[in-house]
Amino acid sequence: MTPETKRTFKVAITLCFICSIVVSSLAYFLKDIQEDAKESFRQQSILSAAGLWTEGGDPGELFKDNGVSPVGIDLEDYKPEGSDLSEAKFDMAKSLQNPELSRELPSTEDIAGLKKMEKYSVVYEVKNDKKVQTIVLPIRGKGLWSTLYGFVALDLSEMDKGPEHIKVAGLTYYKHGETPGLGGEVDNVRWKDKWRPKAKTEEHEASAIYPFDSDWKVIVEVTKSKTTDHQVDAISGATLTSNGVTNMLQFWLGKNGFGPYIKNLASAGDSAPKAATASLTNVQHN
Amino acid sequence: MAEPTPKQILLDPLINKNPIALQILGLCSALAVTVKLETTLVMAIAVTLVTGCSSAAISVIRSEIPSSIRIIVQMTIIASMVIMVDQILQAFTPELSRQLSVFVGLIITNCIVMGRAEAFAMKNGPLLSFMDGIGNGLGYGFILILVGCFRELLGSGKLFGMNILTPATEGGWYQTNGLMLIAPSAFFLIGLIIWVIRTIKPEQVEAE
Repeated sequence: MTPETKRTFKVAITLCFICSIVVSSLAYFLKDIQEDAKESFRQQSILSAAGLWTEGGDPGELFKDNGVSPVGIDLEDYKPEGSDLSEAKFDMAKSLQNPELSRELPSTEDIAGLKKMEKYSVVYEVKNDKKVQTIVLPIRGKGLWSTLYGFVALDLSEMDKGPEHIKVAGLTYYKHGETPGLGGEVDNVRWKDKWRPKAKTEEHEASAIYPFDSDWKVIVEVTKSKTTDHQVDAISGATLTSNGVTNMLQFWLGKNGFGPYIKNLASAGDSAPKAATASLTNVQHN
Repeated sequence: MAEPTPKQILLDPLINKNPIALQILGLCSALAVTVKLETTLVMAIAVTLVTGCSSAAISVIRSEIPSSIRIIVQMTIIASMVIMVDQILQAFTPELSRQLSVFVGLIITNCIVMGRAEAFAMKNGPLLSFMDGIGNGLGYGFILILVGCFRELLGSGKLFGMNILTPATEGGWYQTNGLMLIAPSAFFLIGLIIWVIRTIKPEQVEAE
């Protein structure tokens, strides 16, 4: 090896070493602040899924003002579980690493490409007159490049008429690695608007996306051209991400996801005496 | 040609040797981030800092860099600085960082940064290189902000998110121009800016 080659190696190695130390120590020191920012954004997307987010608001206060309460649930018997939500079992990322807090999904059930699913989860209930009006469910699933993490909010205010009256209140994602401009358009305000119920105006009738049929079968899908009110127009140029959204809704609203939990809420609602005003007020317009 | 003074090095890239208008570099991000002034401004500051600091750093070690690997050495330094900027933005301005998405990372491939490293910092001292980097960043930022002003004002009737021309959708009189919200409008605007600059300064017109 010539001295010149040796020097080249020396410079290259030293430079890489210094650069990696600088970059990684900065990343290490900023980690906590970044985590806080991410958590705040996650809470923001919970509120935004339920249609309760206002720009520049404080997530903590909006949770309180709108009566949003987190509820820990057991995804095996679908009962409320535990009151301390800071427990490790409610941390999705950590649960998935821990075989006691998660289970492997057989490939026949795993339509959203999850491989593993947690045993406990946290859902968010928006109550009005002691009745759950909107429920926000954490969802995730494979898109094209990445797993998308988000929330779907369901408007349960007319659930006592049957599961086919449950409406999607909103869908948001807080973390994904899809192509910006294509699959990344799941963040696009206009696309997210397609999921929201629309009130009747002069130009169009009231509309909404109804995810279930009368038998609790999940029939919501993202398709190339919307023809029914169970469908949402796909994102152009992002077929696989759009399919991913369909699959994760099918999974998380289905029998392995939160389906049985929503059913429980419905049957509990039937037996409880109904307040006459409860069905008239709609949390969306608060 | 006389040796340029530090002041010339800093200010020339604004109009006389503007990296976008004269050298037509760094257009990709100029198209992508100029829909709103807020993102435009952050991008301009980020590029200015990265260009200045990386040029200074490269200039400090320029005599140590073996010429056979000089491009990759420059890239390593630039990439490290861009990652640092990205991390800082993610921590302190998460909302802006999401809006800028990949474009902060793509500063690495912005030709202006590496162009200055290769053309200037490899031959000059750290202080001059720093000023050259900052100057070119400012020149880039100047055009970006100009384009951003037009695009946000005509496209959504706002500047920094504040209503200037109240759009019709919000009860005002201004019919927003949808073309300004999509990337091609930046091409037209940059073209117009270049036309204006070259009309005022005919010496910038390339010989036929």
